[in-house]
Order: sequence, then C-alpha cells, then structure tokens
Amino acid sequence: MKRKIEYNVPDGYFESLRTKLSAIPAQEERPSRMQKFTPYLALAACFAIAVLIGNLALDRTSSSSASDEEIIEYLVNSDITLAQIEDFIITNQ
Amino acid sequence: MLEQEFRDIVEQYSEQLYWHIRGMVNSHDDTDDILQDVFVKAWKALPSFRGDSAVSTWLWRIATNEALGFMRRQKLRAALRLQSLDSEAERVIDSDPWFNGDEAQRRIAKAVAGLPPKQRAVFCMRWIEELPYEEISSITGTSVGALKASYHLAAEKVKVAVQEDD
Repeated sequence: MKRKIEYNVPDGYFESLRTKLSAIPAQEERPSRMQKFTPYLALAACFAIAVLIGNLALDRTSSSSASDEEIIEYLVNSDITLAQIEDFIITNQ
Repeated sequence: MLEQEFRDIVEQYSEQLYWHIRGMVNSHDDTDDILQDVFVKAWKALPSFRGDSAVSTWLWRIATNEALGFMRRQKLRAALRLQSLDSEAERVIDSDPWFNGDEAQRRIAKAVAGLPPKQRAVFCMRWIEELPYEEISSITGTSVGALKASYHLAAEKVKVAVQEDD
C-alpha cells in the first residue's frame, strides 16, 4: 500500500517485533488478584517517594546539587505541565 | 487462555499500531519504545477489558494516549532546554535513517511535527490512517464536531507551513 508519508523499517523488523511483544506475558507480572491491591500499593509508593524526595532535598542542600539534566528529566517524567512551569516563572520573576 | 488472547492481539494489530504511532512521533526508535509500553499496558489491562468497544478502538486509545504522553514530555524537555520544538522535530526527521519519503513528504512530516500534540494525533488519524471521524471520536472521547474543527485547523497549518518552505 502506498503511504502518504513513506517511512521505512529495518529488514525483518515486524517479525522480531511480534516475537518481542509476544514475550511480554512471560516477563510481566500476571494481571490477576494483585490488581485489587494496586491502588493501596500506589498510595504507599507515593508516600515512600515523597519521603525519599524530601530526604534527597535535605541531603542536597548540604552536599552536591543535581545537574540541570537530572532536574529536566525529573520534571519531564512528573505530571507537571508547561503551563505550570510558565506560571511559576512568571510569579517568581 | 489470556496469553493466547494477547498473542492473537499482537499478531493482528502490532504492525498497524506501529504505523499509527509512527505517524505521530516520526522516529522509528521512539515508535518501537512506545509500542512496547502500549502492549505492556494492554497486557495488564486485558483482564478488565469488557468489550464495551472494539478491541481495535481500545488498543488505538492506549496507543494514542501513550504517544500523546511522549509528545508532552518531548515538548516539555525542549522547553526546559530552551530548544525550539520545531528545530528538534526537524532534526529527528532529518537524522532518522528509516525516513524514506521524498522532499515533499519530508516537508509535510516536518509541518505535521510542528502541530500541537492533540491536533497532530487527530490529523494523523484522519489524513494518514483515513479513519472515520466517528472512530476517532471513540478513540479520543472528543465529539465529531470538535474533531472536524481540529482537523481543518491542522490541515490549514500544514498547508501554510509547506507553502512557506517552497
């Protein structure tokens, strides 16, 4: 089929892709009874992360600081939005 | 039983989902990473999939959300590095060894990459995949009217961007 934008893939890619994806059930935890505990585990994890970040923040004030790249990756993987960052910059300028 | 169902889904939809994601994010390597995450999510959510929508709609919804998340992070990363998202998108397209299009297609791909993430997703589903608006509506949860408006706005922007490059 002629595509509107012609992209290419490496030779044999889709065969190896199917093999790789079919292996997911063997690698991932079986989605079963654990699922009903997931919200509680997530809550506990959030609490642990908050404590961890707090500790790291305290440590960092007295020792080395995070690099710009580390801070960027932390923010990128958080739920923060560009609009929230812009608001922060505007209100703190 | 569940494993077999999952393998059938991989067999039937992995290639189509690859092209769905590739249209939105351009890079082969990024598409490969996102696709892996999509199928991990699908595997985890499979027991709770009740068949309220078609399997394809359910999968396209997961894939679209994953791609939108990727585009959001890409945009945020570019902003925090004080880079232009457009120039970053151009660099991705120009440096991708798996981009096979001619110069006109390259210009279109760059113009599409410059669209805001949600508009890009709608444009790709409509223009590249030629999905009906009703199907895109089921995937995105957006009304058909809003999708038509979004698509026409996106198409206009792409047209202007391509003409500016001429």
